[in-house]
Amino acid sequence: MADERRIRVLMAKPGLDGHDRGARVLTLGLRDEGMEVIYTGLRQTPEKIVQAAIQEDVDVVGLSCLSGAHRYLFPEVVEQLKANGVEDMLVIGGGIIPKEDIAFLEEKGVGAIFGPGTSIKEIASYIRENTKRK
Amino acid sequence: MFDKDRIEEIERKRKEWEEGTLKKSLERFGLKESPTKFYTPTDLRDFDFLDKVGFPGEYPFTAAEYPSLVPELRVRGGVSSLLVRASSYSGYGTAEDTRDYYNYMRSAYGRRGGPNIAFDLPTQCGYDSDSTMARGEVGKTGVSVDTLRDFELLYEAFVGDHDLDKIASNFTINAPCNVILAMYFTLAEKRGIPLDKLRGTPQNDILKEFAARGTYVFPPKPSMRMVRDTITYCTEHVLSMNPISICGYHIREAGATPVQMVGFTLSNAIAYVQLGIDAGLDVDTFMRRFTFLVWSTGMDFFKEIARARAGRRIWAKIMKERFGAKNPRSWMLRGAGGMGIPTHTLTAQRPLNNIARCVVTGIGNAMSGAPPFGGVPYDEPMGLGHSLEAQQLSLDAGRIMQFEAKLADVIDPFAGSYYVESLTDEAEEQIWGIINKIDAMGGAVDAIEKGYMQREIARSAYQYQKEVETGERVIVGVNRFTGEQELEVLTSRLVEHPYDPKKRAEAEEKQLKSLAQVKKERDDGQVQATLRRLREEAKDEGGNLIPPIMEAVKAYATIGEICNVLREVFGEYEAYNVTA
Repeated sequence: MADERRIRVLMAKPGLDGHDRGARVLTLGLRDEGMEVIYTGLRQTPEKIVQAAIQEDVDVVGLSCLSGAHRYLFPEVVEQLKANGVEDMLVIGGGIIPKEDIAFLEEKGVGAIFGPGTSIKEIASYIRENTKRK
Repeated sequence: MFDKDRIEEIERKRKEWEEGTLKKSLERFGLKESPTKFYTPTDLRDFDFLDKVGFPGEYPFTAAEYPSLVPELRVRGGVSSLLVRASSYSGYGTAEDTRDYYNYMRSAYGRRGGPNIAFDLPTQCGYDSDSTMARGEVGKTGVSVDTLRDFELLYEAFVGDHDLDKIASNFTINAPCNVILAMYFTLAEKRGIPLDKLRGTPQNDILKEFAARGTYVFPPKPSMRMVRDTITYCTEHVLSMNPISICGYHIREAGATPVQMVGFTLSNAIAYVQLGIDAGLDVDTFMRRFTFLVWSTGMDFFKEIARARAGRRIWAKIMKERFGAKNPRSWMLRGAGGMGIPTHTLTAQRPLNNIARCVVTGIGNAMSGAPPFGGVPYDEPMGLGHSLEAQQLSLDAGRIMQFEAKLADVIDPFAGSYYVESLTDEAEEQIWGIINKIDAMGGAVDAIEKGYMQREIARSAYQYQKEVETGERVIVGVNRFTGEQELEVLTSRLVEHPYDPKKRAEAEEKQLKSLAQVKKERDDGQVQATLRRLREEAKDEGGNLIPPIMEAVKAYATIGEICNVLREVFGEYEAYNVTA
């Protein structure tokens, strides 16, 4: 059986939001699910996130925001990935995202939004099924 | 408490009960062990009431901070002040938006008293609204404050019989606390109000920002210097202002266990008390004004009650024995109340269940030395701001507990309980273990620089999540009772919230314009002169920076400009990577 390349994830906190319990838990949890996960820490600009994603050659970028700035920050990350010629990176999000904003974010290229109560397993399954990179 | 013979008889009878009545009953259900505990005097055989509990409002404060619940129950219908405080933490958009909000809440809903101000993240992190770091964030989590001008506008809602000498202001601000206070003091000066008439509480607990909350700016040591400045300045000039609100709440919400929350918080508190002492102040003088925030609680009812009681007992001992404070008021965990509020336990699924959760912990507060109150509005997990309906239900829940169930008619009713006193002793032992461990590391600042608190919190958070995913930790409607036959009860929030969504959406653009205007109208030469002076003063560790910050603020220097000078001198905090 060929060596399966492990899925690589960048867990990021865009903007100024300091609530990173979910980002940390998901970093540790996805590692236990067999993925390679890098957590950026707080206060990342969309530029920094995209730079890190490209540098680390990740398959997935996970964005966490609980401060209400997601409508600007998440699409900005997607836009900047495209502007850098990256078309096949899966972008997913979580945090406190009001229901009304989910369709908007998905339209802008965010693959899925995982709100409070989501399990690590759900997110891991979604990633496995939707990663576009080979 | 009981004589030796009686204890032995109880032990004998307990064994008889276990082998007789209990065993028979369990066998009928096919069980070997009972899932329910029962405590007796034998669990508390060395209990000394005066030593372990004492009386409310007296050392060791196990029962309660105050002799009765009256100080906590305001005159406003006799309803817990906590209720009023928690539901009026507010602010959004521009200073005018927030000013109009406070005016509206007063005229339409009869809200009196001072503001409990929530600031937006750029303000909390020392960035101006026109900084690239602020994009998308202006006016979202609270009001945007860039310069003194914003404070002047906001406080147009507080004039006349609500002027600064007649109200107390709460500021949830930490790293740039002294900038916000400088604005407040300057505003008072402009209005001819003496500083010693000002009352209020800035949060100003920077250590928990490093450990859990994340709105830090400078590294730990210079940050502590700034807190020292607040303590010494207020002790000397602003005698009725509390310089700090020491928080366990955020530490727990970030994932800490109940005993870690108390252990880390009291370790941080020890470091803050030491600041005052090292500055040469008399401990009983500055401790009059130290406060604590309410705790965060989980749903484990009895354990949380015990932890709250133990926390008070431990702090009293630390203040009396470690710091030699003489005034009993210095021994109080002033402001912490009972078990706390259960924010992290609230679910977005079937959100009305959150009312039940808040009632459970509301009762728990009444059982742990505070009045009952309705906790957090149920729609907390649904987005920024609470609907008025949810706020109403929260208020009513507190009223029902207090006036219908009469839970405020007794204080610490579990005092002497075989179960709760045993749990209190256990919690106390575990908390001391953590405090001693951090002491051995050199104290809270060292523990944070080494990443100890951050690692422990991340570990506990992950442990909690694993328990949720295995089902060991039940969350109703999330990991259990989610079958097809369960109803997903929806809520309709129909009353228009006083936070105008249009204003919130337009706030960033508006604020950029007003900020540009302020920069145009001010005397740039003067601004630069004050910033130069601040830079020089900042280099001298012994100097108090509040006066030079006030000079800068008066010249309409921005919060970003002031913090950037300090960033140059102090450096910026580089977060400890817990997942490396």
